[in-house]
Amino acid sequence: MIEIKNVSFTYADGTKGLIDFSASFPPEHIFGVLGESGSGKTTLLNCIGRFLNPEKGSIYIDGDNILNMKELDFRRKIGVVFQDLYLFPHLTILENMILAPCKVQKVTSKKARTEAREMLTRLGIEDIADSYSAQVSGGQAQRAAIARGLMLKPKYMLLDEPTAALDAGTTKEFAEWLRELQEESNFIIVTHDVPFAKSIASRGIYMHNGKKIHSGNIQNIIDVWDTDFNKR
Amino acid sequence: MFNIYSKNRTVCFIFLLLFFIIFYPLSVYGQKETPTMTMTSALTGKYPPFSYFGTDGELTGFDVDVSKEIARRMGVRLKLVTTEWDGILAGLLAGKYDVIIGSMAVTPERENQVNFSVPYYHSGAQLFIHRDNPAKVYSIEECKGKQIATGLGETYQHYLEVHYPEVNVITLKSTAEIFSLLKQKRITGFVSDRLVGSWQINKSGRPFVPVGDMLYREDIAIPVRKEDKVLLSEINNAIIEMKKDGTLKEIHNKYFGLNQDQSEEQNSQMPQSVIISKLLGGFAITIGIALISIVMGFVLAIPCGLLLTYRKGVLVVPSMISRTIVDFIRGTPILIQLLFVWMGMGLSPYIAAVTTLGINTMAYMAEVIRAGLMSVDPGQARAAQALGLSKIQRFRFVIWPQAFRIAVPPLMNSVVALTKDTALISIISIPEVIREAQSIISVTFEPGKYYFITAVLFFIVTFPLMKLAGRLEKRIKQKGYVYD
Repeated sequence: MIEIKNVSFTYADGTKGLIDFSASFPPEHIFGVLGESGSGKTTLLNCIGRFLNPEKGSIYIDGDNILNMKELDFRRKIGVVFQDLYLFPHLTILENMILAPCKVQKVTSKKARTEAREMLTRLGIEDIADSYSAQVSGGQAQRAAIARGLMLKPKYMLLDEPTAALDAGTTKEFAEWLRELQEESNFIIVTHDVPFAKSIASRGIYMHNGKKIHSGNIQNIIDVWDTDFNKR
Repeated sequence: MFNIYSKNRTVCFIFLLLFFIIFYPLSVYGQKETPTMTMTSALTGKYPPFSYFGTDGELTGFDVDVSKEIARRMGVRLKLVTTEWDGILAGLLAGKYDVIIGSMAVTPERENQVNFSVPYYHSGAQLFIHRDNPAKVYSIEECKGKQIATGLGETYQHYLEVHYPEVNVITLKSTAEIFSLLKQKRITGFVSDRLVGSWQINKSGRPFVPVGDMLYREDIAIPVRKEDKVLLSEINNAIIEMKKDGTLKEIHNKYFGLNQDQSEEQNSQMPQSVIISKLLGGFAITIGIALISIVMGFVLAIPCGLLLTYRKGVLVVPSMISRTIVDFIRGTPILIQLLFVWMGMGLSPYIAAVTTLGINTMAYMAEVIRAGLMSVDPGQARAAQALGLSKIQRFRFVIWPQAFRIAVPPLMNSVVALTKDTALISIISIPEVIREAQSIISVTFEPGKYYFITAVLFFIVTFPLMKLAGRLEKRIKQKGYVYD
């Protein structure tokens, strides 16, 4: 369980990212965090991922305050795939995947390579193992970035706008693909893509202006969003 | 009998050996007493027949012979260094050498800075023009508004400016340049030493003639630093002796005497093999200095580039220092830096060249490395952090490899620029390719040909580098390293 308690974050220019935000994300296969652009979704993700320090409030993962966790223990709990993926362009997809196991976990290169290839096969993208990120399609890159994140076997995996760069057809394929990753991790998907969220998550939360508006069943959330949208 | 002889021989040999072991060090010690002092003398090597590189590529000429004779009479070893005329006096004052035996005229301005010996010859300023005389001038008085050339830093320039202010004086670095301009009739004439001018015209076979009277007579003497009083009196004694016993006259005749035509014939053609070995030898020095400077510059540029990029915490002060150094170096002419390091800091020419070029390359490469680091998307570091990589690991495995690949093409351009900048070191008397070309030109009078060959030599090295840089740039763009 990821618990966020009364977290506030303000950017240097005064923009409020999160305002006294509280929520909890149960370990669920796919959990949706919905909201429009500027609603604070990515700020939230950056706070959970320890890339931003909240000025107020705390975040707990399975009962531990994330600020007290050792870096490696923390990264084994939380994996992050950014909206822009940030695959390392000077490395092949396989090398991208084994970098952390080899350098951080000190796994031998041979073992890491075998594991990475197994992972790629499991995810159905083994053919791009030796390609560079500039040589693969948007959908493949998205999967490769998730594969890289999964190498550390994090309990939770945060995906920021995973469908942002995908067209409708690829989004559908991607959703199906993601649904099959039951065993790998608990995915928390930050998105403003309502149909995608609906197709993939059963539960989630809805954010607006740095605050939580609603949480629970995904259909409920979408209804609230629609009403909200019509009101404005 | 044979046996005894053989024994004797062995004994003799042992005695001889002992003799050498005991006395050889003494003899060496004894020898040292006479030529222990070295007198270093500067000249241009580009002022035939006073100083120039002969057919064998060795420094020769009237001044060289006089230098050798003076040194012999003083009982000192002679070391000749060649340097540019326009910085020759500053070099003396900076202690780069002890004397200038290089046909320097005595002037009041120079006497303020140095002490001159008694004159070792007299000459004078003479106007020379093209035989066709398109401007119809017959004396310096008729040259108002006309372009008259002199060598840069020579007394004639100052003299003309003071006494004939209406003459349009242009200064050029070498006789070869003056000759080619006059041959093309782009200047009206030139003022030079009467002896030298006639000798050079004769030797180069150019259609130039002296016109009018000598502008003035001048005493040619040897300058020494004001504090070197003993040296000055020793030189004076040597010159006075040489005048008395006719040695000076002999040397003069060797270069300007009646039988000079034969030796001139030999001198006017430098053998092809000497030319080639001078050019290639010079070019080897150019490339050697470039290589050392590039390696040094690159090694220094990495920490410097990092400091320019990461300016937080404990790095604030070192970063500010790096920024200041880089800005200062990039904002000042490399020529000044070179002269400062050479004369101002008193380093030897090679060390000065490598230091200046190396630090200069560092400044430019550090900026390139900074730009490379800046153009890596900050998200890359965040993604690496998300994977649990430490700060150092993020830099080592993610940021630096990308930054370096981005930096490679502009780094190559720095290498090309530096290779070309080595041309400047000819001014601090390093016999690199341009200086060698100039010395060849001072004998052959073919500036077009030899400057072109020199340019081609540079191009052979820089062209593949430029091509390589272009290709790498293309590959880097394809791989999508650059973020904007």
